[in-house]
Amino acid sequence: MNPQNLSLNPTSIRSKFTKTFLRALTRINNRRPPISPSREIYQRYRRVKIAADASMASAVGSRRTWSRAILWKIRNQRRYRALVSRRISTHAMTKRDPRENYGREVGHGSADELRRIVPGGEAMDFCSLLGETAHYIKCLNTQVQVMRSIADLYST
Amino acid sequence: MDPPLVNESSFSPANPSSYSLAEIWPLGAGIGDPNGGLGLRMSNLGQNLGGLVETSANRDGSAEESTVTEQSGSRSGGRKRVDANSEDESSKIVSTSSGNDVNDSNGKRMKISGFRDENGSLKAEVETSSGTGNKSAEQSTKPSELPKQDYIHVRARRGQATDSHSLAERARREKISERMKILQDLVPGCNKVIGKALVLDEIINYIQSLQSQVEFLSMKLETVNSRMNPTIEGFPSKELGAQAFDAAGMIFGPQATREYVQGSQTEWLHMQLGGNFERAT
Repeated sequence: MNPQNLSLNPTSIRSKFTKTFLRALTRINNRRPPISPSREIYQRYRRVKIAADASMASAVGSRRTWSRAILWKIRNQRRYRALVSRRISTHAMTKRDPRENYGREVGHGSADELRRIVPGGEAMDFCSLLGETAHYIKCLNTQVQVMRSIADLYST
Repeated sequence: MDPPLVNESSFSPANPSSYSLAEIWPLGAGIGDPNGGLGLRMSNLGQNLGGLVETSANRDGSAEESTVTEQSGSRSGGRKRVDANSEDESSKIVSTSSGNDVNDSNGKRMKISGFRDENGSLKAEVETSSGTGNKSAEQSTKPSELPKQDYIHVRARRGQATDSHSLAERARREKISERMKILQDLVPGCNKVIGKALVLDEIINYIQSLQSQVEFLSMKLETVNSRMNPTIEGFPSKELGAQAFDAAGMIFGPQATREYVQGSQTEWLHMQLGGNFERAT
């Protein structure tokens, strides 16, 4: 991996994420649909989670595979669900991609698991999967830190 | 390097003597038993090159020469594929390739000549003609880059597909281990773990814990957000300022994340309990 790809400017992504996420939080707070309380809590939680993911991905931009995958997944969630279920049903019958041999040499199970966890990692070869994973971990760290500080700030 | 220059001229298709050499190779291999064929070929090589290379027809000299050729060729190939860390890589390549060639240069040559025989001389003709075109273009543009380019070409022409494949494979492995190292630095407590599978497991665990932390934090933010409704407009500017200051100190160092995780584990449980309690009421 070339290190200049990894050395993203943390301040800019962090501040972008914070700005977008706070805006999304106010938007979520403003429109509060009157549903049954348990459902409402769950839905609002889902909305906050999606807002966090989406603002993180949009702060990163579209130059990374994982952020593109997250944005795509959020944008057409319903279609994605249908597609995933179809893919799962066909996946059992079809042979695996020969590209997955890359993972097999290291440890088949863990590489596949990593593919499942990192968004958009299903179709990557092992090299770029590792690069994406590194970037994704950094961004997740940022996300957790920012969200934690926001939560601390609000709760005090 | 001096020897590559000599070899380059000896194998380059633009040179008329080596052109004849390329035509003679299959013939040399076809005659007699393997060793005799090799010797004949070597003598032909020496005759055809004339004053260019001062190799006698004996096998020791030829073996040395082939060693040099292989070294430089594989080295330039490695440098082309592996851009960042060429020192370690190239040294490895050199050691392996030189060992290879000293041991079984005969076998390689035999294999190559057999290949030539199978495919006939047509392929050789085509390759040499394309090589001449290539080479003249290169000569006109850059004389300094000439040896490297020509070496790659020579290697391809001699049909060492397995060698280039293993080179590419080695480059890929190098890249993977490099990225693994970066990930190990990124994931706290991963430096002590030995073995790729275990490292991957550790990485997966870390990502999962981060993802569940995000989930939990969004749960917490959801409750906090609904409670702090009126004052939310006042926060963003202050928050952003604080974040900017924080960001200066919080570079993604492994120490920072480690202590963050360790500190957050207990707190996390606590917060989770609090959140559940709050939701239940």
